[in-house]
Amino acid sequence: MKKNGIKAALTKETPFFMIAPALIWQVLFFCVPFAIIVYLSFVKSSVGLVNPQVSLFYYLSLFDFSYMKIIARSLIFAIANTFFCLMFAYPVAYFLARKIKRFKNVFLFFLILPFWINMLVQIYAWFFILERNGLINTFLLKIGIINSPLHLANNMGTVLFVMIYCYMPFMIMPLYTALEKINERLIESSYDLGANGWQTFKNITLPLSLPGIKTGCFLVFVPSFGEFVIPALMGGSKNMFVGSLITHYFLVAQDANQGAAFTCFSGAILLSVIVLGNWYFSKKINVVRG
Amino acid sequence: MEQAKTFFSRYFFPFMVLSLFLFLYIPIVVLIVFSFNDNPYTYQWSGFTLQWYHELFASVEIWDALKNSLIVAASSVFLSTIMGVLLVFYSAHTFFNKAFVLFYGNLVMPEIVLAVGMLSAFSFFAIPLGLTTLIAGHTLLGLGYVVPMVRARFIDLDVRYAEASLDLGATQGQTLRKIILPLLSPALFAAALLVFIVSLDDFVISFFCAGASTQTLPMYIFSMIRSGASPVVSALSTVLLVASSLLVLIFSSLQIKKTDVL
Amino acid sequence: MRSIRLENITKLYDGEIIIEKLNLTIPSGKFFALLGPSGSGKTTILRLIAGFEKADGGSIFLGDKNITNTPINERRVNTVFQNYALFPHMNVFDNVAYGLRIKGFAADIVEQRVIKVLKTVNLEKYIYKSITQLSGGQQQRVALARAIVNEPEVLLLDEPLAALDLKMRERMLIELIELQDTLKTTFVYVTHDQFEALTVADYMAIMNHDGEIEQVGTPKQVYEFPVSSFVANFVGTTNLLKGTLHLRDGQQFLAIDSLGEVAVVAQPDKPWASEESSLILSIRPEKIDISKTEESGFSNHLKGIVQSIVYHGRSTQYNVKLSNGQLIQVFEQNEEHFPQEAIDYDDEVNLYWQKENAVLLEK
Repeated sequence: MKKNGIKAALTKETPFFMIAPALIWQVLFFCVPFAIIVYLSFVKSSVGLVNPQVSLFYYLSLFDFSYMKIIARSLIFAIANTFFCLMFAYPVAYFLARKIKRFKNVFLFFLILPFWINMLVQIYAWFFILERNGLINTFLLKIGIINSPLHLANNMGTVLFVMIYCYMPFMIMPLYTALEKINERLIESSYDLGANGWQTFKNITLPLSLPGIKTGCFLVFVPSFGEFVIPALMGGSKNMFVGSLITHYFLVAQDANQGAAFTCFSGAILLSVIVLGNWYFSKKINVVRG
Repeated sequence: MEQAKTFFSRYFFPFMVLSLFLFLYIPIVVLIVFSFNDNPYTYQWSGFTLQWYHELFASVEIWDALKNSLIVAASSVFLSTIMGVLLVFYSAHTFFNKAFVLFYGNLVMPEIVLAVGMLSAFSFFAIPLGLTTLIAGHTLLGLGYVVPMVRARFIDLDVRYAEASLDLGATQGQTLRKIILPLLSPALFAAALLVFIVSLDDFVISFFCAGASTQTLPMYIFSMIRSGASPVVSALSTVLLVASSLLVLIFSSLQIKKTDVL
Repeated sequence: MRSIRLENITKLYDGEIIIEKLNLTIPSGKFFALLGPSGSGKTTILRLIAGFEKADGGSIFLGDKNITNTPINERRVNTVFQNYALFPHMNVFDNVAYGLRIKGFAADIVEQRVIKVLKTVNLEKYIYKSITQLSGGQQQRVALARAIVNEPEVLLLDEPLAALDLKMRERMLIELIELQDTLKTTFVYVTHDQFEALTVADYMAIMNHDGEIEQVGTPKQVYEFPVSSFVANFVGTTNLLKGTLHLRDGQQFLAIDSLGEVAVVAQPDKPWASEESSLILSIRPEKIDISKTEESGFSNHLKGIVQSIVYHGRSTQYNVKLSNGQLIQVFEQNEEHFPQEAIDYDDEVNLYWQKENAVLLEK
């Protein structure tokens, strides 16, 4: 391979030793763990690398309705989370990006702030409000609306609600960025050519904000699918999610092989959804580009 | 641009914005206010007190967790920043110039997969869990932020100034030291700050890779929520909120957002 | 000062050939311009000489020394970049001093040489200013100073005036000529602007879209005696008439379709000079005389109708339609405020030129 002048100047200065640390780190702590997970999922009862027997046993045991239910539940929650975040965040991002002139930085600061708050603190805040002895229950009991505490802190609705709360900033940021970038001249041209507010939004603003919508959806959906903290703290132990089950296998049941198989399987499903989503968005965005 | 104020823009948007801000901040405000409440459990305001804060600062467990969090965060920042910069700069015009793509995986992969992967790897090779394994994991995350952020700024600098420096007789190393690093430092600082915050806040990887005897701050809060709300945690949360706000102020002034990474 | 020689240089980019087996000698101590349209490979040649690119074939010589594989920072060549590439975190002095300090010169020598060169480019009042406070023209001169303070054997300039406005550009061109005259360093100036090239160059090379050098010569040679219609069209404007060469009574004529014959003079050394060859006549607009009245004493005379008139300040351009439908451009210098003969649209006019002022081209 030919090297140009800059490259020639480089080879005198051992660049490889400079690059190596980062690469080695990546291999050791990303590639190797990933490989081990895959390995564990296909191998039955081995201690270390001694005498491994390749087997599909752990994968086959996944074809059970209960597993499918768990995966479906996680998918549905992730989709719902994404949907509600999008619906709630879009108008706000739009307003902030395009309509507010004064104090924009102040609004932005307060919009970014929740993003930086530790998720555990966020969950705790709702826990404080919603739990049996928490704010809402003690207040309602005192007033007399209810007679016994509501189980607000241990149901699926709460899980979704808190998920929306925690992931909202991930949707707001890319939407805001994308909406802010839209050239004002394009909007003006649309009005100039006779379109009204709604038409301009539908034909100009919305399509041009699609990349932001795409980023936001992925930023929310992908982590939501594997979420286990919120269900663990707010969902009670009855209903399992993908994240909780993986945690269970690795930390409680100590069944790394089954856990690995389940992880790989769920990962494959997640990947398929991502590919699908990516294809869907690319189609929409390419229509815009013409 | 001026246009007739429709029903939409007059009522809908402000309503949405107000609701969103209320939604985002009511729990936080509640938390802060009630961390000063004399009565630990009910809505009832029994009086202003700092006792929970006294308990907070006296808690050995919390200081321990904080100490661990800071050690891990500082180490991760140090390691990921140095390795990341070296990678970006020295791979630029060589065979490895596409190597940076590898690091995108660190943020794209769901954290739980990274976490169980590392856990399995550590137990596979009989590596004891503790601060070192935590640092390993957090540094990996850090690289996922540092490499793209630094690279974006670096490419711009490289195109504009590196050739001029070489043309004037400097070696690659001199160019890095005298030209690139000084101009890169704002982006580098922002990346370092970001990794610091991410590490402090991280729960998933810590939960799996810290082992039985090590606990970080987020892990502490998790275990406390598990065992029921405690006003000390409210006090801790308030302190963390204030700290976060300060960091965001610093970060905003550097005008870089987390999602710009992707 | 030594000359630069490119021998059989081939350069590919992404699998596409930019230049192939290119040969060029740039004489030492002269102001050399490399002129060509965008994408002609002229910037590539510059970058090859500087060392930013490595040739895929061929060699580059600085004098007798083969520098093909010498790294950038070891060549005694300096570049003035199109976007200046001034280091924003350093002031003017530190920028200019950069190369000297890298080489390890003592601080007092550095100071001496930097101040001297800044005086040469008329920037002595801005020595410690920050780069961001300078105007485009000032930045350009800092870039220049930063390069020449290192006393390179060759100075490469990559479209250095592209970002400046017209007046600034014209001033800088003069300053560059004077600078080269004083320093006697070989300047290699890349541009797509033929006006710039003609103004500054002692010698110039014209490149075409395919990365080939069409012609090398002095500005006057290139302008008055182009070797191809590409050169004739690229450097200045010209009128091209296609026809067949005839010989009659010892005189040479070009027979043009539907138009008739024009008298020509073919260079005797050309192989096609004595045959019936298909050739192109290039006659520049300023060499044509336009008049409503009949005149005598010219070897060539054509009639036409004025289609459009464009006022250029110092000259007026007439586009005249000939009997075969072809449009001819004519430039007349506006010598008088109130010309005696006013030419207007749709006027029938006479075009005259001497056969010696036209050039016959093969392609």
